Amino acid sequence: MLNIPGSIDLYQEGDLRGLNIDAMGRYLAENTHIPFRVHGDIYEGLSEERIKAAAEAFARIKVKDPGRRFALGEPLQAEVDYEKKRIRDPHWRIFGILYEGIHYQKIILDLIDQAEPDLRLCFILFTNQLFGTWDRDDLRYHARVSLYGFPHLISTAGVVEAPAKPKDFYLKKQMGVPVDFLMKEYEGRFIDHGDSRMTDVLKGYAIQALFFHLSGDPFCEDPDCRLFNSHWQEEVLHSQLDGRYEFCARHEAILKMIREQSHF
Amino acid sequence: MEDRHMAERTKIFTPVSEKEVTRAIVDGFARQFIEYVESDVLIIGGGPSGLMVGRDVASKGVKTLIVERNNYIGGGFWIGGYLMNKVTVREPGQKILEELGIPYEKAVKGLYVADGPHACSKLIAAACDAGVKFANMTIFDDVVLREGNRVSGAVVNWTPVHALPREITCVDPIALESKFVVDSTGHDACVVKKLEERGVLKTAGFGAMWVEQSEDLVVEHTGEAHPGLIVTGMAVATTYGLPRMGPTFGAMLLSGRKGAQVILEKMKKG
Repeated sequence: MLNIPGSIDLYQEGDLRGLNIDAMGRYLAENTHIPFRVHGDIYEGLSEERIKAAAEAFARIKVKDPGRRFALGEPLQAEVDYEKKRIRDPHWRIFGILYEGIHYQKIILDLIDQAEPDLRLCFILFTNQLFGTWDRDDLRYHARVSLYGFPHLISTAGVVEAPAKPKDFYLKKQMGVPVDFLMKEYEGRFIDHGDSRMTDVLKGYAIQALFFHLSGDPFCEDPDCRLFNSHWQEEVLHSQLDGRYEFCARHEAILKMIREQSHF
Repeated sequence: MEDRHMAERTKIFTPVSEKEVTRAIVDGFARQFIEYVESDVLIIGGGPSGLMVGRDVASKGVKTLIVERNNYIGGGFWIGGYLMNKVTVREPGQKILEELGIPYEKAVKGLYVADGPHACSKLIAAACDAGVKFANMTIFDDVVLREGNRVSGAVVNWTPVHALPREITCVDPIALESKFVVDSTGHDACVVKKLEERGVLKTAGFGAMWVEQSEDLVVEHTGEAHPGLIVTGMAVATTYGLPRMGPTFGAMLLSGRKGAQVILEKMKKG
């Protein structure tokens, strides 16, 4: 018997440039029969005191050197002011700071007022900020598309910046070809900021979040399945948009079980 | 007699003796230097962001001095990347090019290209026309701190003297005072680093190059890093550990403008 959550709560942070959260919720509900709730901006209604505390917390968790193990920093006032400005503006577009992912989750969990993780509730935050985690294989931080846990974090900036573009894109960039020219040359072969395909692509990551919630395992080895753990942009586009099917037979069977066992 | 009259009729310049030339230089320099020992805004670094700060504050009547360690003013704005003398500016930076009368071309949507020499000389001229004065071949040596560790000026010396080992020379620097100091020294963030040496604040060092995001972050973080110290341009990236920019100058210009706005607001508040 699966421990199916009573609802899937969807939050957002920053300007997601057209990401359709309602469509995301409907997709999850169609595939799982679990109801969803769209809460909007995660910072809405926060007191000044909580904004200040969150700003100070975010300013402390910047990964300044991806090659070194993270340590909590003592931020300068301008860094805290920057975070306050970002928190207060639901249309904030600027990103580029890499935050430590696990600490980011803790800050967001505190905002959702969840003292302890509760499996009966599934929270997903869609954000336009970048977070990263430490990789024990190559001993450096990597930006991520998603980080599953309490809550689940899915990043629109992450899906653009984390999976690698085609190799020759980087070779040409290294040779000095301006990035703007390269973006035009490789247009369509990667997900870009504000991409019309963003909602469809991230649906797969939302389902991954649910699988992690239920079983601790969000991934599939089948490159045609939406649960494939893509590392390249071409893999993202294939598994999320162009695969032979949406879900492999194994994961389709699990989704069927979820629908049957769901109380709704 | 006829030969002497002939010789005088063919001269181009009015006769002036060598000592009169020397007196003119010394007198002009000394008067200006004495006047600018104390200023409202002291900008360390005469690159694009420093020049923008200077031009924007001086045009409002603020007494402004730029200290530049090189003989030439302009920093890296003469040359784009890889010694190619075209400078790029991302939208909306081209609006500043228009304001300064710098011709440019569109490269692709949102990206504009100008001639480095033309852009840089126009920006320097705009700063001069606004009333900015310069102390070039002058290098930053230390900060002047007052109550509460407020930055209130800078200690400077001649660049060539600074380059000599102390065993050969021990020419003391001198202090300049100001209401605000601006660190526009680029990657080196010299003034910020000096405060770090003194344990007054801690910097992060700039991150890896990420042109597309770094410009926005630099402009957003531009402002007062410490009481009395405004940081602009690439020094912002070093101070806050932001991604590093490539050879594009929009953020330098906009960061300079924002730094000027911060100063003018603070001066208004008193």
